[in-house]
Amino acid sequence: MLIQDCMTRHPVMVPPTMAASEAQKVMAENNIRHLPVVEDGKRLRGLLTSSSFALKTDTLSSLNMWEISRYLSDLKVAQIMVKAKDVITVEPTRTVERAAAIMAENKIGCLPVVDEEKIVVGIVTERDVLRVFQEILGLAAKGVRVTVRMPDRHGEFVKLMAVFVERKWGVMGIGTFPSPRHPGYYDAVIKISEVTSAEVHEALRAVEGQQIVDIREIV
Amino acid sequence: MQKILNQTRKPWQKVIMDISSTKFNPAPVLKVEDLAVAYKVRGGEVEAVQRVSFEIHRGESLGIVGESGCGKSTLAWSIVNFLGNNGYVKRGSIKFMGQELVGKGGEELRQLRGDQIAMVYQDPMQALNPSMRLDEQMKEVLTVHRGMSEAEAEKHCLEMLDRVYMPDPTSVMRRYPHQISGGQQQRVVIAMALLNNPALLIMDEPTTALDVTVEAAVLDLVADLRRDFDTAIMFISHNLGVVARVCNHVAVMYAGELVERAWVNELFASPQHPYTQGLLRALPKLGADKADSVLYPIPGRVPPPNNRPTGCIFSPRCDYVRERCRTERPQLRPVKNPTMNQPTWVRCHFAEEIDPAQWIPPADLLLPQMGEKKISAEPILTLQNLKKYYPVQGSSLRDVVGLGEKRQVKAVENVSFVVPRGSTLGIVGESGCGKSTLVKTIIGLEDSTSGKAEFMGFDIAGDLNTRNANLIQELQMVFQNPDATMNPSYTVGQQIARPMQRFGTVPRDQVRDEVLKLLQRMRLSEAYYDRLPRQLSGGEKQRVGIARALASRPDLILCDEPVSALDVSVQAAILNLLLEIQQEFGTTMIFIAHDLSVVRFFSDDVAVMYLGQVMEIGPAEAIYAPPYHPYTEALLSAVPVPDPTVQQKRIRLEGSVPSALNPPSGCRFHTRCPRRQLLPDGGKICVTDIPPWQENGDGHRIFCHIPLETLRQFEPVIKQ
Repeated sequence: MLIQDCMTRHPVMVPPTMAASEAQKVMAENNIRHLPVVEDGKRLRGLLTSSSFALKTDTLSSLNMWEISRYLSDLKVAQIMVKAKDVITVEPTRTVERAAAIMAENKIGCLPVVDEEKIVVGIVTERDVLRVFQEILGLAAKGVRVTVRMPDRHGEFVKLMAVFVERKWGVMGIGTFPSPRHPGYYDAVIKISEVTSAEVHEALRAVEGQQIVDIREIV
Repeated sequence: MQKILNQTRKPWQKVIMDISSTKFNPAPVLKVEDLAVAYKVRGGEVEAVQRVSFEIHRGESLGIVGESGCGKSTLAWSIVNFLGNNGYVKRGSIKFMGQELVGKGGEELRQLRGDQIAMVYQDPMQALNPSMRLDEQMKEVLTVHRGMSEAEAEKHCLEMLDRVYMPDPTSVMRRYPHQISGGQQQRVVIAMALLNNPALLIMDEPTTALDVTVEAAVLDLVADLRRDFDTAIMFISHNLGVVARVCNHVAVMYAGELVERAWVNELFASPQHPYTQGLLRALPKLGADKADSVLYPIPGRVPPPNNRPTGCIFSPRCDYVRERCRTERPQLRPVKNPTMNQPTWVRCHFAEEIDPAQWIPPADLLLPQMGEKKISAEPILTLQNLKKYYPVQGSSLRDVVGLGEKRQVKAVENVSFVVPRGSTLGIVGESGCGKSTLVKTIIGLEDSTSGKAEFMGFDIAGDLNTRNANLIQELQMVFQNPDATMNPSYTVGQQIARPMQRFGTVPRDQVRDEVLKLLQRMRLSEAYYDRLPRQLSGGEKQRVGIARALASRPDLILCDEPVSALDVSVQAAILNLLLEIQQEFGTTMIFIAHDLSVVRFFSDDVAVMYLGQVMEIGPAEAIYAPPYHPYTEALLSAVPVPDPTVQQKRIRLEGSVPSALNPPSGCRFHTRCPRRQLLPDGGKICVTDIPPWQENGDGHRIFCHIPLETLRQFEPVIKQ
């Protein structure tokens, strides 16, 4: 799953010369919280977020009432946007987990996706990453969701998979993580289709050295 | 959320689009609301489009379907601001990526749309500059919109040409538009449209002018590109088969209004609006036989824009019309469908109460009796090794003097068949296959180069002068383009009377009565006697053409694509008419078409031609079932079927049709035959030897080296 597979292509974009009030309308109309600013054939010039529209009190404190309203009506996107040099971007061929890492590290909600010439080809947001996460664990699929804890050792996962191979179970979603609060152990979350929880319980209980920590049926 | 697992696609399976992207991106790329577009004309204005609303999301393809004059092109032009001086958007809104397009000036619009909306037209020459080389034109798109350097642009263009499966892109780039074929031109136009990665691609009948096999390849390309680029596509077509193949939503337009909007499977499986139901009934289905199904035309005519009915716009032609329909305009409203999570929108008061399965044809709709035809064993036309070559005058000095090598366009090569009296022979083939030339040779507009042709016992292979008036009288023709074949200065009555007067079929004083009787058979009233061709619609002109052909009571009528230029509902009426005539007068017909479903419906025997040779000939049912000639198989798998759930094989021909100036040796199809590998040595025999005629019984013959047992093993192209 690369960024190009989960990004939104053809994102809504605005030119730097657009009025800020209109850009705000565009964001509301399209129900989005981030708006890339482009020019000259989709080249990234900046990024608008909801916080860009917050009034900066220091800029305004020097103006009187009439000047404020004129300032606001003349305000252009170029003046309030985050400039391109400060915008963090990614390439479409990087992985989705890298996008998640960048977003978490920099506490930002969206990453414009650009190609080598800095042309915007898409946008990936927190929403996209959340969606991918759901798909990875197979949220939508019906079946049994089982979490198995195993020691962090070579060959453990294969033991678990041997059961699957033998039973020919279908896997609708799978994820592995280091067990929270249990160093030295890994948890594997697997969504299995067309089984009952009793079957799963009975089969996986027998795997040596591993423990079922959670099992539930999703319908 | 629906999750479609990725299976390896079998050759005949359709790819179902994953709709999950729409759930997470509710903002559509294009949103049209209550749009009305009007043209200012002398004496007022005319609303070509009224109250149209729809949305297209990223990665979705919306098909806009309708007959000629319904306003679909006007709709497309209004989005790209191409309406011309007298067209304007009267009401409503067009929102592209959330920004309103209506009411903005030229420069603002250019910035807004810029490189985000692209349009592909029906005629590629409209988009291509004939005086510039292709590489210059393509690079211009990038250098102007993106400020790219020439070298970069060239690299991108080559990549894009590769993406559209253009063979040998480097050399194609150096050519001028007229040096490549129609299908290749359309690919170049699509490549240019996609160079800037637009969010919305509008395609206005992009494949109508192309041959069936080329069309299939271009449609495959559009489907692939949509998947890769996630572009929203607005696909305008009058061909429901094409729409079934390429689109996932369909909007049906009638007389400027949107009457139904549905998911593609829903539209074909359970159409809600009576007009859609009527359209689907008027289409010949590829699986159907003449005896199994009748085509039901929609009675009446499309109302002219300045004389629209009050109330529902379809009410004058609707079978289910009630009082409320005539007075109250229906709104576009959703019809709940329990099986689908996307409702169908329909503009009808009583859509829930109408069940198309219960429909019976109204009493006044005259349909031909589907009885047994009187086909006698006696042949009326026999062709044996008929050849027609056109000499080509070379341009070098040697050619002018007469010393150069004589080159010839071998248009018709060794055609032999027999047409029994009373039957219909359908001739199918793509452009350049020689079917028109063959027909012109039979009727005498061209003289044959060699071979024998016998009509009713008389030799017609010679010059037209050798045929006497009686012979000419018995052999008449209906042409493709009704506009071009009627003399614009003579009235309808005069034109039909002329053959009668010339051949003296009826005494002079009875001519007018006879003409009126013929007009009546064509369902044209007496008033048409004095009308001029320009006062008639396309369908009416074609009826007059048929009447004129029948005026001399011929024994054999040659029909050269008589219905290709007509709308679906009119097509159905004309085909029914031809069937009736055949049954009443016992006329034999030779019917040329490029639409395989029409030919199947209409003919007893079918001949498939390729590059001047007949590849397969036999009874209609035999042609459409295995064993197939490889070319017939490719043709059948390319025809767009108006049923998105049908399983159709996917065989695509590589390359383009070779030139008839220098046709391939042996079997002319060997350069493109997908089944050549079945023969030993990679099909060497196809290059060296002319194939034999293999008999399959019942008059079915296949012109191929591959043995019949092998050909019989193939699965049928279309599985219901």
